[in-house]
Amino acid sequence: MAKYSWPEKPTLLGTPVKRLDGPDKVTGRARYTHDINRPGMIYGKIVRSPYPHAKVVSIDLSAAEKAPGVKATLAYMKPGDEVHYQGDPVAAVAADTEERARDAARLVRVRYDALPQVSSEAQAMAADGPKWSTTQPNTRAGQRAETGDLEAGFRQAGHIVEQTYSTHVITHVCLETHGAVCEWDGDKLTAWVSTQGVHQCAQGFAQALGIPQTNVRVITQYMGGGFGSKFAPDSQGIICAKLAKAAKAPVKLMLDRKEEHLDTGNRPSAFAKIRAGVSSGGKLTAFDGQSWGTGGAGAGSGFPLPYLYQFPNRRRVHTDVYINAGQQRAMRAPGHPQGCFLTEILMDELADRVKMDPVEFRIKNAPPLAPNAQWIKYFQEGAKRFGWDKRHATGDPTPGPIKTGMGVSAHLWGGAGRGSQAHVDLMSDGSVVVKCGTQDIGTGTRTLVAIVAAETFGLPVSAVKPEIGDTIYPFSGGSGGSTTAASVTPAIRTTSVNALDQLFAKVAPTLGVTPDQLAAEGGRVFVRGNNSKGLSWKDACKLIGTEPISVDGKWEDGLSSSGTSGVQFAEAEVDIETGVVRVKRILAMQDCGLIVDKLTAESQAYGGVIAAINFALFEDRILDRVTGQMVNPNMEWYLLAGMSDVPKIDIVLNNMPERGVIGIGEPPTVSTASAIANAVRNATGATIRSLPLHPHKVLAALEQERAGGTN
Amino acid sequence: MSPKDGFGFSRRDFLKTAGAGSLATAVTAAGVAEAHAQAGVRALGPGDVPVTLTVNGRRIDLRIEPRVTLLDAIRNRADLTGNKRVCDRGACGACTMIVDGRTVYSCSTLAIEVQGKQIRTVDGLASANGTLHPVQQAFCDVDGLMCGFCTPGFVVSTIALLEKHPNPTPEQARKGLDGNICRCGTFVRVMEAAMAAATSSAGGVRRG
Ligand code: FES
Ligand code: FES
Repeated sequence: MAKYSWPEKPTLLGTPVKRLDGPDKVTGRARYTHDINRPGMIYGKIVRSPYPHAKVVSIDLSAAEKAPGVKATLAYMKPGDEVHYQGDPVAAVAADTEERARDAARLVRVRYDALPQVSSEAQAMAADGPKWSTTQPNTRAGQRAETGDLEAGFRQAGHIVEQTYSTHVITHVCLETHGAVCEWDGDKLTAWVSTQGVHQCAQGFAQALGIPQTNVRVITQYMGGGFGSKFAPDSQGIICAKLAKAAKAPVKLMLDRKEEHLDTGNRPSAFAKIRAGVSSGGKLTAFDGQSWGTGGAGAGSGFPLPYLYQFPNRRRVHTDVYINAGQQRAMRAPGHPQGCFLTEILMDELADRVKMDPVEFRIKNAPPLAPNAQWIKYFQEGAKRFGWDKRHATGDPTPGPIKTGMGVSAHLWGGAGRGSQAHVDLMSDGSVVVKCGTQDIGTGTRTLVAIVAAETFGLPVSAVKPEIGDTIYPFSGGSGGSTTAASVTPAIRTTSVNALDQLFAKVAPTLGVTPDQLAAEGGRVFVRGNNSKGLSWKDACKLIGTEPISVDGKWEDGLSSSGTSGVQFAEAEVDIETGVVRVKRILAMQDCGLIVDKLTAESQAYGGVIAAINFALFEDRILDRVTGQMVNPNMEWYLLAGMSDVPKIDIVLNNMPERGVIGIGEPPTVSTASAIANAVRNATGATIRSLPLHPHKVLAALEQERAGGTN
Repeated sequence: MSPKDGFGFSRRDFLKTAGAGSLATAVTAAGVAEAHAQAGVRALGPGDVPVTLTVNGRRIDLRIEPRVTLLDAIRNRADLTGNKRVCDRGACGACTMIVDGRTVYSCSTLAIEVQGKQIRTVDGLASANGTLHPVQQAFCDVDGLMCGFCTPGFVVSTIALLEKHPNPTPEQARKGLDGNICRCGTFVRVMEAAMAAATSSAGGVRRG
């Protein structure tokens, strides 16, 4: 048996435990980077290119230097450099108030030679179109994969569907914008950063500034959302550190909302021209997909395709397309919502060809049931829970303008754990401190750390003090890829188990037993099988003496695993006169291995679903075709759901303790949008093959359907 | 001030029908008119001027430029950082404060405009001994928060809602909270928290 395992009868794991930092957050006591105010602190502001593509001719900082309150200026680019997107950083200033920093930034005179710009995928791919860069091509060959015999697959097909599907670019819109507060003490830097990875950030600062990593401390006690966009110091972090050095004062540099939209990442677009075949019996036979997408100025746009379902014969050829827009970054389940949408809409079209129910059709073509492949079970169970039997065939026959329909989609994710370290101190007064250089990005990591230690020591959660969000604590990876829970909780478990063993060794002689006969539960250390023979936790810890039990440990195999599955059902209502789509209900069937905290795990699932409703119905980064500038770099025209837009959502979490811990942050956001789009199709009979499902597109699809459809 | 409640429709409805441009114009015009009426037509600034605010019952004396918003004045000059700046233009609700009983977007309110008024921020809602306001407690109990960056705004909006409608219908609650955006997706549980707080205080939410 492995040295480490999860308890068979846990008292805390899998139960709803309230977020430990809830009270700090609801009272405003929690200090985010945005809230750090240091003595003598001044404010930084970045000057950015208004042009999507241009050459910098000159940068004149003299007027800004003389402006009231200005303490430092810097040129980030130099004459001759090329800017590749609106918002590319060019220069920066720091002044004693935020208002004056903004004034001074306006006084920086940058002359540009504007160059032709590329603001859409189509423009980039046109033979004689403009070029996004003077040195690099507009496209590059991306993923390519081929399996089986494509021609044979199409020969076996009773029906073939050939269509083009697409998804759009969205931005992360972290409510706390990216940014930092930097303070130097000689050549040592302390940086409060809104980041998903304190240790990665420290490394980034050290490299960019040419100082040893040991001279950098990064602190992130609280952070207001990252979703994959906050791992490195980025230009704003490095600029902040440089301004602080030049001004000899702490500098706060938080981006404003417009900068956040332009320069901190986005989810790339995805397009695919697909030809797919299905046998008359309803078995997928072939898939031939040519895909492309843009991750902006020089960044890739890959995604999995076909998604999840078993096409025995398949080919996929991808092209990365570059345009003059901010670079993409990982965004909540990178690639999956795109690949899922392109495949799942196709699946409903194929199901219709063979006159099969979409659930039945998916069950027939899903991978076989396995611990990391629960789809078939979720399709069956979910259909029952959702009332799928009440689904009408495509096209709601109800008279009147409001049509209702149901849709379904499925997804997968990895979420494996990896190296993470931890440190546990047990004090003679009974107090417990657990340290880990991870960070809580809103997922509840701080609470998970305490739960695992408390479970191991048989203590209430409140008896454990978790210390995270600081590079002075042992190394832990960035919070991305839904890997945090599966990385951190095993490290806490192994370190706590070892600390407890040391405590048992101290206690055993007093109780006249050997250490392996001891157990810790319910706030007591006692002889297994003889509950009354023992000591309270406090009394047991008194035996520790003056030198605390102090244990280092790390992630070990066997407490976490990888591979989750999920299925979602959606019911949507479409007003065929206005084209407005409203989501009425979502059911999410999801697993994540051993659930650590039921409450925060469910919150992750709710959050994922709501994020995907935004992706499906509201948000869209719109670039002006003529100027290449973003039309809606704000929060009033960059639409996000409000309370009235949120439907009834049911989350069904399948606890699988035998699998160990797996992440849940990303998977629940993958298939919602496809399920909604399929519900719209079921409601109206019109297929919308491109996201977002904005009213004009719904109306256009209805129009096309009335004109005889696309098939 | 940016009233978002009390006209019988929510800000989002208003935006849908009127467009943000006209909202901004209306608000600014009203604010200017009010300032003029109070002060006579007297130019202030452009440099620092004395501004006195009453925040959570405490008097705060500041010297700031007249253009400084209520939010920035409180966050940057008084180190009361509970309320957040997210969109900085009246679209997200993270900066929501209660001024003389009405919710305002403090990012779109000038500090100088609200002198002499009672300003309540998220920082002043718990009692001095640390006991949470019933609304704050409800958010913690049902996990009505994740990263927590929108939470201060939601907490303040919920309190304002319950002070107006001690036993809100779900519809009233939704409308009352429609001016707040959460990117982590806490809406379902924020709604639960609002309804639970209404029940737990049996229609009598303590006034902070
Ligand atoms: S920051 Fe004031 S409404 Fe968004
Ligand atoms: S909890 Fe993160 S934005 Fe609402």
